[in-house]
Amino acid sequence: MSESASSLRDRGKTAFLRSIVLIALWWLAARAADSPLLPSPADVAQSIWISAKSGVLFRAVGTSAARLVVGYAIALLAGVPLGALLARSRVVKNAIGPLVLGLGAVPSICWLPLAILWFGLTETAIQVVVVLGALLPIATATESAVSHVSPSIERAARTMGASGATLLFRVTLPAAVPGISAGAKLGWTFALRSLMAGELLFVSGGLGQLLETGRDMGDTALVLAVVLAVVALARVCELALFSPIDREIARRWGTANA
Amino acid sequence: MNGLFGAGSRALGDADAHAREGAKVVTAGPAISLDHVSCVFQSKNGGGQLALEDISLTVDQGELVCLLGPSGSGKSTLLNVVAGLVKPSSGRVRAGAEDVLGPGPDRAVVFQDAALFPWLTLEENVAFPLKLAAVPEDERNARVESLLRLVHLWHFRDRHPHELSGGMRQRGAIARALANDPAVLLLDEPFGALDAQTRELLHAEVERIHSATRKTMLFVTHSVIEAVRLADRIVLMGTRPGRILDVLTVDLPRPRHSADAEVAELALRAGAAIAREVDKVAREEEGRV
Repeated sequence: MSESASSLRDRGKTAFLRSIVLIALWWLAARAADSPLLPSPADVAQSIWISAKSGVLFRAVGTSAARLVVGYAIALLAGVPLGALLARSRVVKNAIGPLVLGLGAVPSICWLPLAILWFGLTETAIQVVVVLGALLPIATATESAVSHVSPSIERAARTMGASGATLLFRVTLPAAVPGISAGAKLGWTFALRSLMAGELLFVSGGLGQLLETGRDMGDTALVLAVVLAVVALARVCELALFSPIDREIARRWGTANA
Repeated sequence: MNGLFGAGSRALGDADAHAREGAKVVTAGPAISLDHVSCVFQSKNGGGQLALEDISLTVDQGELVCLLGPSGSGKSTLLNVVAGLVKPSSGRVRAGAEDVLGPGPDRAVVFQDAALFPWLTLEENVAFPLKLAAVPEDERNARVESLLRLVHLWHFRDRHPHELSGGMRQRGAIARALANDPAVLLLDEPFGALDAQTRELLHAEVERIHSATRKTMLFVTHSVIEAVRLADRIVLMGTRPGRILDVLTVDLPRPRHSADAEVAELALRAGAAIAREVDKVAREEEGRV
């Protein structure tokens, strides 16, 4: 335990030093450029402070995060069963396999015009884009994970008398968890990208819209402040949610992708 | 050491009790019988490949039979047919008095890669078939403990499979296979991927478990020494099509050791009997390259 704690401290130190160096370089570049197009770290910090104090930044983060959570949850709840079905049912695979692959190749933001025509400038329209963005990578990864479960694992379970739903839920899906989790993580980054693109294109009150506001007012510092907020949102989710899940999977399944 | 012997004799007691219970229901007769079993695999170009041709074999209760042959002799296919994982194209397969129609907990299988479930601890792995069979928790826990003590892995019960060595995983797989007290234990080259020393230890374990539980065992191997070391009878198999060449009775006292003169001598004879087949496989493989 003490070993991992000290390595954590070392990593913290390295990260701190790295940030100091980066900020210093940025500051020097901003000094040299001396242009409103390249604000200094202090300008950006001030912009974050102002938008945080007025509540604009938090409201935007809250709006975007809520959309992300809802859209991602729907994508997970639909994508994992869809992937399992694609892996296990020849009929389903033949019927919609090519469709899923084809749609998966379409950047999800391409659905926004259609979603707006169908649902108007509503929450639903933007949600459709987020769900479509995350759903297909999750389904594809789940399909691959379930298809690649070691045949001897399933055979062993069958010789113990497992079949049908018991086999699927107690053996096949647990065996596929590392792959499904990798797909879930991929889905999360796709959801975030789709959401930001969607929010940029339509007035919506999230971080994307705040970016647009910054652009409209020529406020480069605000734009950079929002970018930093997006980075923070992504990193917090990564550290709070995905890293612990990855560690637990590595501990139990013995996979090395921690 | 005391603890180990204590554990061993407790497991032995368990097994005796099970054997007595079993004796009431099971009428005397072979544990496994195959009548004129053939198995054709459809190959990709539309033709059929005869994996097993006209196999007739009976295995008596409590007998340890090794299927010995080069790769392509259909020995694993034969084991899978008995397990119910592969359906024969023709012929009749029986386990006890019942026709084999599919896999079942009366015929447990130990696979070459152990096939322990990676997301479960060793203890949960051994408990898994008992949970499927809805064995009550108290009985389940007692059974898991006696099985893990039987294979000397009780101290490793909280480990996940990836934290165990190859030999330990195979012992765990054997414990799991024994969990539902199957009539027959089928082992498909279980020690094929292990180093020689670990193998030697596990041969002693199998011999000990066999004498402790008196389970009928069908053991697939391509190692002549392994077959002579373990078997009551050796079924020698040939290739293309997979078929039985000969059956050797191994009438050597136990416990045996791979370095015993008698074992070595018999291994030489068994080896000579399948040498032509091994040679044929080698030539075919060279010809294909």
